[in-house]
Amino acid sequence: MIDALNPVTPAPFSVEAFSCQKAGNARTEYEDAWAIRGSDSPTRCRVAVADGATESSFSALWAALLVESFVRGRSSGPDFFEGLDSIRRLWKRKIRGRPLPWYAAEKARRGAYAAFVGASLSAVNRGWRAVAIGDCCLLHVTGLPEQMELAHSFPLTRSEEFGSSPFLVGSLKKGDDDPRPHVRVSEGVLGPNDVLFFASDALAAWLLRRAEKGEPAWQAIGPMGIRTQEDFETVVAQAREDGTRNDDMTLLRLTRRASGERGAG
Amino acid sequence: MYSAEISRKNPGCFIFLLDQSASMEDPFGGSSDRRKADELATIINKLLHNLSIRCAKGDSIYDYFHVAVIGYGQDSVVKSAFDGAMTGKDLVPISELANNPLRIEDRVKKADDGNGGLVEQTVKFPLWFEAKHAGGTPMSSAFKMGADIVQRWVAEHPKGFPPIVINITDGESTDGDPVQEAKALCSLGSDDGAALVFNIHLSSAAGNPIELPASGDGLPDKFAKQLFDMSSNLTPFMISRAQELGMPADEGARGFVFNAQPVQVIQFLDIGTRPANLR
Repeated sequence: MIDALNPVTPAPFSVEAFSCQKAGNARTEYEDAWAIRGSDSPTRCRVAVADGATESSFSALWAALLVESFVRGRSSGPDFFEGLDSIRRLWKRKIRGRPLPWYAAEKARRGAYAAFVGASLSAVNRGWRAVAIGDCCLLHVTGLPEQMELAHSFPLTRSEEFGSSPFLVGSLKKGDDDPRPHVRVSEGVLGPNDVLFFASDALAAWLLRRAEKGEPAWQAIGPMGIRTQEDFETVVAQAREDGTRNDDMTLLRLTRRASGERGAG
Repeated sequence: MYSAEISRKNPGCFIFLLDQSASMEDPFGGSSDRRKADELATIINKLLHNLSIRCAKGDSIYDYFHVAVIGYGQDSVVKSAFDGAMTGKDLVPISELANNPLRIEDRVKKADDGNGGLVEQTVKFPLWFEAKHAGGTPMSSAFKMGADIVQRWVAEHPKGFPPIVINITDGESTDGDPVQEAKALCSLGSDDGAALVFNIHLSSAAGNPIELPASGDGLPDKFAKQLFDMSSNLTPFMISRAQELGMPADEGARGFVFNAQPVQVIQFLDIGTRPANLR
């Protein structure tokens, strides 16, 4: 896809996405979501990953609405969560009127929940600004392929911080459930050899654990490590072999494009 | 141990033992108008209600758990307590149970309106069990029947999360010492650990509820002490989950409660990410 507004200027960022559902589940049961907008634009790029909670209903829909709303919007900080009302209305509208058995109706009445991380990047200074709630993570890795190291991990920084009950953003507005105090914000600058990875919780936890053990997997998930869906599934299989919990896994990889290389959307 | 994944492919197993004996007609917790049998029916209906909702997904329900409910009392026999479409069955998948309550009542509940106020909502409340109270209390035999089901389950699911047996009673067994039978049941298990026994004690005595104690000291009577002795230690995950849910569980806590409605025990098993802010 070519950006019609700037058809000849090279796009500065390249973003690729890989995803895989929980082992034993159908692809239709995948409850993570991701969105990318502007990877073919010379001025801006927005990406987001969300992870719908297993223990809530219609959470894949909620996760998808969150990431789409983020990449289509302009907010790059906590103000994104000021605008949740319209996304929540959309979620409600999508499930309203469905004939549901009692247990499904009661579960839907409790709302859907998701972890979220979204970032906007500026082509001007290669700066990124990210906002997150829960345990989807941004991992900023720097250095040449053989010497790649973690420069920044956000919002969680250690593998032991991942649990099975994070605070998540809900699809219903409740008085005692305001997500705004839980919003985290971070910023950085993407250097020439840097990579930004966005990962849902199980994958992020495994990547941090590998780095903590002195056996980083950055090269394995870098541009030379994962080229195809099959490559990604091999990495996922390795993570599960290492004892990572069986969960949906999503990876977005954002790099600076070499000068002269054209955006492909 | 106690780390096996619970999924549709590797389901968990709950076995409830219900005391439906004549002594359950006595008042509950010093109340003048509420019987222990009423309290038991409320607890089991709430537990099954919560378990069904926990397994609901979209417009469907996932069979994360299989459930048996054994009654002991009437005619001093031990048998499946299910009525209606499930009469005579022991283990059923949660979907079958959720789709076959005896009846569904409409109840009005106050809910957060999102703007600092409350709004009344009509919610569906299914009932599977009515209050029953007749006959003796063959609790030891109930544990034997529970053990038979556990044995069958672990043979079919040798690597799965071990079964959890939840006994709800006033504690006055009439067919011998149930402690030995409970211990025998706990000697069974899967590769992932021994079967677990929890006890919910409904007493006529008034007094503050006690939840998940680590010691039998201070329990009000010999029946409470006996049921405490029969109860398994909670796993570390269960202790941390109980704490998250606001229950007073310390290291060494056992699956025992006295005159309380521990509907949270249904949350003690991990089936995936549970939002901390989901109430």
